[in-house]
Amino acid sequence: MSESSSMVRATGLSKGFGAGLTRVEVIQELDLEVATGEMVAVVGPSGVGKSTLLHLIGLLDRPELGRIVLDGVQTDDLEPDARAELRNCDIGFVFQHHHLLEELDALDNVALPVRIAGEKGRVARDRAAGLLDAVGLSDRASHFPDQLSGGEQQRVSVARALAMRPKLLLADEPTGNLDSANAERLFQLVTELHLKAGLTSIIVTHNEEMARRCDRIFRLARRADLSENVRKI
Amino acid sequence: MSLSAELHVASRYLVGTRRWTPVVTVTLISLFGLGLGVFALVVTLALLDGFQSGIRSQIVAHASHAEIWPAAGRRIEEPEKLASLLQGALGDVEIVQMVRGTCLVSSDTDAVPASVIGRSDTDRVTVDRILSRRLGVASGDRVEVISARQRLTPMGPLPVRIRTEIARISTPEPGAESGEVVLPIERAQRLLWGERVIEAIELREKADPWTLGQRARKVLDEAGVAVRVAGLEELHRPLLTALALEKIMIFVAVGLMLVVAALNLLCNVAMVAAEKRKDLAVMAGLGFSPSSLRRLFLVLGLSIGLVGSVAGAVLGSGLAFVLDRTGALELPQGVFMVTAVPFSIDPMTVGLVVAVALGLAALAAWLPARMVARREPSEGLRYE
Repeated sequence: MSESSSMVRATGLSKGFGAGLTRVEVIQELDLEVATGEMVAVVGPSGVGKSTLLHLIGLLDRPELGRIVLDGVQTDDLEPDARAELRNCDIGFVFQHHHLLEELDALDNVALPVRIAGEKGRVARDRAAGLLDAVGLSDRASHFPDQLSGGEQQRVSVARALAMRPKLLLADEPTGNLDSANAERLFQLVTELHLKAGLTSIIVTHNEEMARRCDRIFRLARRADLSENVRKI
Repeated sequence: MSLSAELHVASRYLVGTRRWTPVVTVTLISLFGLGLGVFALVVTLALLDGFQSGIRSQIVAHASHAEIWPAAGRRIEEPEKLASLLQGALGDVEIVQMVRGTCLVSSDTDAVPASVIGRSDTDRVTVDRILSRRLGVASGDRVEVISARQRLTPMGPLPVRIRTEIARISTPEPGAESGEVVLPIERAQRLLWGERVIEAIELREKADPWTLGQRARKVLDEAGVAVRVAGLEELHRPLLTALALEKIMIFVAVGLMLVVAALNLLCNVAMVAAEKRKDLAVMAGLGFSPSSLRRLFLVLGLSIGLVGSVAGAVLGSGLAFVLDRTGALELPQGVFMVTAVPFSIDPMTVGLVVAVALGLAALAAWLPARMVARREPSEGLRYE
């Protein structure tokens, strides 16, 4: 894969937590490359470092060793404000728990990244309304997170992740808290939006069936190295 | 980046919540603390200003608004010319010619040294309350004023003296300690000089007494008259300095309440930062930069500070206004110059109190804001 066609290029990533006897090495010397437009599933047992990997790629955390290049941008030396701008403009997150702000209704939650980018409230809300319509929740715009079902919360979360029309979508077990019907519906939604918006997507999941529907699967093993790189079946 | 996102989130945290959360509780506690501190400071300073403006009114009512002395020597040359110059330049100004000295004043029972002032605007003899108490005299009694100046008599040199009836007992100037007797200027000139000498000129004006000295100085400087001029501020500098110092000390002492309220605000904002740790991490994930997070917490702190301090200032000013207008807090008659506790609301002072409260609120919010901005976003998500 050439440098220019890769959206994510991570090399020699290492990350651990704690110090001394309580030190845990979560990721060690991990290499990962995701091409532009790819949908990649990251699978592996709990505690193996899937979320940590996603946080590193999403610039929510810094690796102790290694480099991350996103769409040709070397991110290691970026100042915090520049990292924040990249997160805002180029990366969309969907978390396992919806992580919607409980003080904001669905519309304002989706509009928040647009407001952060400096757009006026009206512009942000108009864009958010379109996205809520796209995820089938236009009638729930004024509902607060605790007035939405789990599936609806996650769909709002997906809409929020796409509010800034990012290049890269990172989803951390987006269906982990949903029943199978809602999980299937959400996964189909993510897949549709991935294709429609021309995204590059990395999805952490425990669901093997869904992982197989992605373009590629990365399996993380206990020793925290990338043990297998399986092409879509 | 504009402030719209920070303002939006802060406003939702403060007023947009739909249920009673710890954030609401700590916000109300912080509001109450700051409001109470500002309220107490505004009322206390209004009370102090009330008493101090009473003292200033007494000074303006009873003392010279400006005085002119010769630049060298003791007598003013051509005082009439100088008076007409001032009258022409300053307009409606009351001009009084004066002589001053120290004499022994005696009654039938006692004799004490006192200031003797001769004034061109009186034809009666006035003794102030300090001297009348020391001598045990009242209106209508007679006193003898004995000068240090001597005249030759057939019995040898004898001090010049006059015996006179007291026409009135006056209230001494605020801060006065030595007794004073005021005589018609001709009698004082005979007593102190033996000839027509003017030692000082007193100016009084109703319109703007506090700047009269400056204006008179300017007129005389421009006319090239070599005299010294002192305005109200210079004439009463020790007393006015003491009043200003008193106000500063009260401001600092009662202002400590604001510091305590700000510490309370700091703890409460830190508690919000802890409770909203996950939200803050999510916001950082969505693109809030560390400086945006700092601004968010500054907006939170300043909003609480603004609402609390404005509410405290409005309530404090309102209470002081009502108490002043109604005279609800009565004082024992004869002890004070006023019959009820006076309050005076100075907008500059109230503004300063609000500004200090806002500054402390910003400082209190800045410390947790700094802490929040230093975290990596993943920390809040990892411990969720």
